[in-house]
Amino acid sequence: MSDSLAFAPRSPLAAVGPAAAAPVSAPAPAAAAVPVAAPGVTAAVLDGFGLATVLARKGSSQTLAQRARERFGIDLPTAPTLSAASGVAFAGTGPGAWLAMADRGGNGFAAKLMTDLDGVASVSDQSDGYVLIRLTGARVRDALSKLVPIDLHPRAFKAGDVASTVASHIGVTLWRPADGPDAAHVFEVALFRSLARSFWHALADAAAEYGFAVHPP
Amino acid sequence: MSSARDRIPSQPYRLPHHGIVDRAHPLGFEFDGRRYSGFAGDTLASALLAAGVRLVGRSFKYHRPRGIVAAGSEEPNALVELRSGARREANTRATVAELFEGLVARSQNAWPSVGFDVGAVNSLLSPIFVAGFYYKTFMWPAAFWEKLYEPIIRRAAGLGRASHDSDPDTYDKAHAFCDVLVIGGGPAGLAAALAAGRSGARVILCDEDFVLGGRLNGDRHVIDDMSGRDWVWRVETELRSMPGVRIMARTTVFGTYDDGLTGARTFGALERVSDHLAVPQAHRPRQRLWKIIARQSVLAAGAVERPLVFGGNDRPGVMMAAAVRTYLNRFGVAPGRRAAIFTSGDDGWRTAADLVQAGVSVEAVIDSRPDVDPALVRAAERGHVQVLLSSQVVGTHGRQRLSSISVRGADGRLARFAVDLLAVSGGWNPSVALSTHPGEKPRWSPGISAFVPGDLPRAMSAAGACTGSLALADSLKEGAGAGARAAAATGFNAGAVPAWKSSDDRVRSSPLWFVEDFDGKAFVDFQHDVTYEDVVLAEREGYRSVEHLKRYTTLGMATDQGKTSSVNGLAIMAALTGRSIPDVGTTSARPPYTPVSIGALAGSHRGKHFRPTRLTAGHDWAQERGATFVETGQWLRAQWFTAPGETNWQETVSREVRAVRSSVGVCDVSTLGKIDIQGADAGAFLDRVYINMFSTLPVGKARYGLMLREDGFVMDDGTTAQLAKDHYVMSTTTANAAGVMQHLEHARQVLWPELDVQIVSVTEQWAQYAIAGPKARQLLERLLGDAFEVSDRAFPYLACSQFSWRNLPVRLFRISFSGELAYEFAVPARYGDAAIRAIVRAGETLDVTPYGTEALGVMRIEKGHVAGNELNGTTTAADLGLGRMMSKKKDFIGRVLAERPGLTDPERPTLIGVKPVDRSARLYGGAHFLALGAVPSLENDQGYLTSVAYSPMLGHWIGLGFLKRGPERHGERLRAFCPIRGGDAEVEVVSPLFFDPEGGRLHV
Repeated sequence: MSDSLAFAPRSPLAAVGPAAAAPVSAPAPAAAAVPVAAPGVTAAVLDGFGLATVLARKGSSQTLAQRARERFGIDLPTAPTLSAASGVAFAGTGPGAWLAMADRGGNGFAAKLMTDLDGVASVSDQSDGYVLIRLTGARVRDALSKLVPIDLHPRAFKAGDVASTVASHIGVTLWRPADGPDAAHVFEVALFRSLARSFWHALADAAAEYGFAVHPP
Repeated sequence: MSSARDRIPSQPYRLPHHGIVDRAHPLGFEFDGRRYSGFAGDTLASALLAAGVRLVGRSFKYHRPRGIVAAGSEEPNALVELRSGARREANTRATVAELFEGLVARSQNAWPSVGFDVGAVNSLLSPIFVAGFYYKTFMWPAAFWEKLYEPIIRRAAGLGRASHDSDPDTYDKAHAFCDVLVIGGGPAGLAAALAAGRSGARVILCDEDFVLGGRLNGDRHVIDDMSGRDWVWRVETELRSMPGVRIMARTTVFGTYDDGLTGARTFGALERVSDHLAVPQAHRPRQRLWKIIARQSVLAAGAVERPLVFGGNDRPGVMMAAAVRTYLNRFGVAPGRRAAIFTSGDDGWRTAADLVQAGVSVEAVIDSRPDVDPALVRAAERGHVQVLLSSQVVGTHGRQRLSSISVRGADGRLARFAVDLLAVSGGWNPSVALSTHPGEKPRWSPGISAFVPGDLPRAMSAAGACTGSLALADSLKEGAGAGARAAAATGFNAGAVPAWKSSDDRVRSSPLWFVEDFDGKAFVDFQHDVTYEDVVLAEREGYRSVEHLKRYTTLGMATDQGKTSSVNGLAIMAALTGRSIPDVGTTSARPPYTPVSIGALAGSHRGKHFRPTRLTAGHDWAQERGATFVETGQWLRAQWFTAPGETNWQETVSREVRAVRSSVGVCDVSTLGKIDIQGADAGAFLDRVYINMFSTLPVGKARYGLMLREDGFVMDDGTTAQLAKDHYVMSTTTANAAGVMQHLEHARQVLWPELDVQIVSVTEQWAQYAIAGPKARQLLERLLGDAFEVSDRAFPYLACSQFSWRNLPVRLFRISFSGELAYEFAVPARYGDAAIRAIVRAGETLDVTPYGTEALGVMRIEKGHVAGNELNGTTTAADLGLGRMMSKKKDFIGRVLAERPGLTDPERPTLIGVKPVDRSARLYGGAHFLALGAVPSLENDQGYLTSVAYSPMLGHWIGLGFLKRGPERHGERLRAFCPIRGGDAEVEVVSPLFFDPEGGRLHV
């Protein structure tokens, strides 16, 4: 069928993603502590990932933790932190609640989790429910400080920390994965897809004065 | 441009060598249409003084000529309109407006000009403008207030004009966190920041000025053999080298707010990012509102010099003594050529010395005290300054600017001095406001005759002049100590506390609250034109309490919040009533400490960005199809899809309804709440939250459910389907999705923690489309192909299933809101856009029609289905005609309270349908039912219409509503009366099922 060619996933941020002309704002000279050429904040809209909420069944915490160790080599976090191993990560979002993520796999990841964790956790596919945005750059904290009301200083929010908070009136889950190859600090933000454009507007607004660039993931 | 610069007048009052302005960087500006020049580092006030401009505005009530009084944010007089066009802003204090090239300012409150002001006639009428005159003069008749009195008063009295255009600049909001917040960058604050910074603690230092240093810029001091300014420079350099220290200049901490569980306290601060520029740089905000969360804070806000209350104390040329020093030493401007000092403390003598040093002739120092330090007197006399002790200034003279003063000497004789500058010092009022915002009361300090911080808020300490420690040495010592202790309290070891040796500082004073037997008007509150006589009048008329004094006279209620006036006002009231000042008490200072623009409070949340917008996966497709959108909470939903040639929405909606009922339509229903409910006890959980039974629902089936609030009223409705064993998906109304989620979480976590049930919102995961109409099955067959069998036998009404289609996990529900053969098809939202396009392609030859919420609404009214208008928080299940759904076999939330007599009263209005007797008549939602011929009154009210629509199937208006004993009254005729919108129609009561009452269309 001809329309199967056109049958493709579409991000709510398709218009701002790398495929489209990236809106790069020049940093205001007075504000930039970095060379003018380097954007202070870089964003990438992630793609192709699998995401699911994992909620422990009643009285199954220990079996669930064991199962996670066996299947994914992951120690389930019992605090708002991130545990990651070979392309899969679990972020603690509440008592007995996690956001499980896989770099690849899409909806299939949740299906696999349902099987792997059958009987010990309730799994709901959220691969399409959230957009994930990765942020980095020398001024990423300055831009984020306009969006989220939490302390992101490296002393307070370390690599591997997770927070459920609000960004510009939009509920987000935010975490700090391991630092990038250039030792740059990285933040990833997960938010409901319907709010993606409003969030993007707020993000671009907050980051503009530092120079904002959109990169492929 | 260069020729224009040549015409700019010189700066006749600029001193040749003084100050820290950048003389290599001249700036041109305009005031009241005339061009002037100043230097980088000037404020508008210092540049005007340098240019010799003394008259800068007219007063609020009496339109008296006014000049610059102060050099800081406490300035009560010199309020100007800054900038022009859409950027025009009223009530800017010239003393804090940083000069920039091309600045344009205008004086306020004067017409036609500040020099010749018609409104000054108010001054002649001043006997009627006394305190409380609004209350007395404009009492009667009441109707005159709004139409006559208020507009006239407003025109005569206003303070500046705001621009009516939309603000072209942007504003930001941001959060900052620190171990130690230091409020104020004067000597105490710098010492505190340094001590805390050296410990490695995260420190934020805020100062409202654009240079750090506070009084060290305005005064000539020596610290450790350096000039005060060199010391500031050295400390600032060290602070800037510390990675944990953030210096925020041009930032006013305006409010102290709550502390949290961790003890950290929240402060509000306003950073004037671009106020010193004509136009903000690209992408930079004009101002930024900061929420600063600090584990510890050091208040080092300094003090404000107190004016003296004497006749003509508001004449341009009368200035605060410390402000005069600031203009001399910081800005290199002499605010006059011949000066006198009127003081009640040592501070004024310092000004005399600085004026002499700057080459300004000082005629006299008039000190109200009988005894002063002989060293001060000797120094003055060395400078050929006449010294008058036990003396007072009783009057001032000059048109529009000071030309002479009248002084009453110790012997009671009057003398006149020709001066154009009178520097006044009445002691200091510590800036305690930020220490009192959370509710703490300031304490009266007899030592300095002023209020100082009382009990400090938790996690706050105070240092320097704001505590009443006015000597420089004390400020430095207290600041360093407070900074080190604050750092230690957050777990950082400050090591050796820095210490410095500073020059002598004489700070004795003895208060002079007002001058007796003065000439003319003696102002207490300059900005609100409150005089000594007004306080006397308030006392005489019985307004003696501090709160009454404030409201009766408006003392301290101007934009400066009484920074210079309130203590003098209290002191006068104390003297009049024979009480002490602490007995009179003090009013509460509230945030903000200085005015904060509304733009900064809004930040970037302007216009449509006031709140976030939620868009469905099919939004872009709907937009391409010409949809008109409606806001449903944060969601945008397609309301209808106008086709070419259609001229009004009703035509469009009727077409969409007919298309669904005759062929097939598709509607985006993704916004409805979807909640995944899993666990061994999921069925039992549903039994407890819904009034009807769910544990009996087989896998692969959906059921309509109704839930009540705890109080027995209906909360929400929707269908819940069992997708797999112990796995349900509940749908909620769009509007109540978040509320229902909260309700379920509460039930799960608090009411029944013993149940094995897990819930999570999956609203965002699924794009869901309703496909409705007699040809819906044909469309689905074409869409799904072999992926799924949709025959009535294989997939009957209320069936549900999940299966794989195009390698995607998808869900199909056979449920109907329209009353037609209908399905809801759910796909992962990433494919929502592709899916709606595929649905429309599959329906191309079936004449598939996209329809919006309006057509959906018409069809549900035709079917008598209740929705938000009926689930309005005041209706019970029985009111909705759904009483029989309430299961008797189980308990559920709301069951007990639903049995209250008031909720089971048979007289309660119950769901009915109505149609107009005259079929061409229109119905109005909200109309009330009355018996025919009854007078419209509350007693005769029998119920009301909740939902109305024009039914294209029936060809007339129909409505749903609630009527007393409604179901028993089908066939009766009533009046539907809507006085608000002029609706008045005779209607017939009918069954709410208008269309296909047997429901045959559902089951084909």
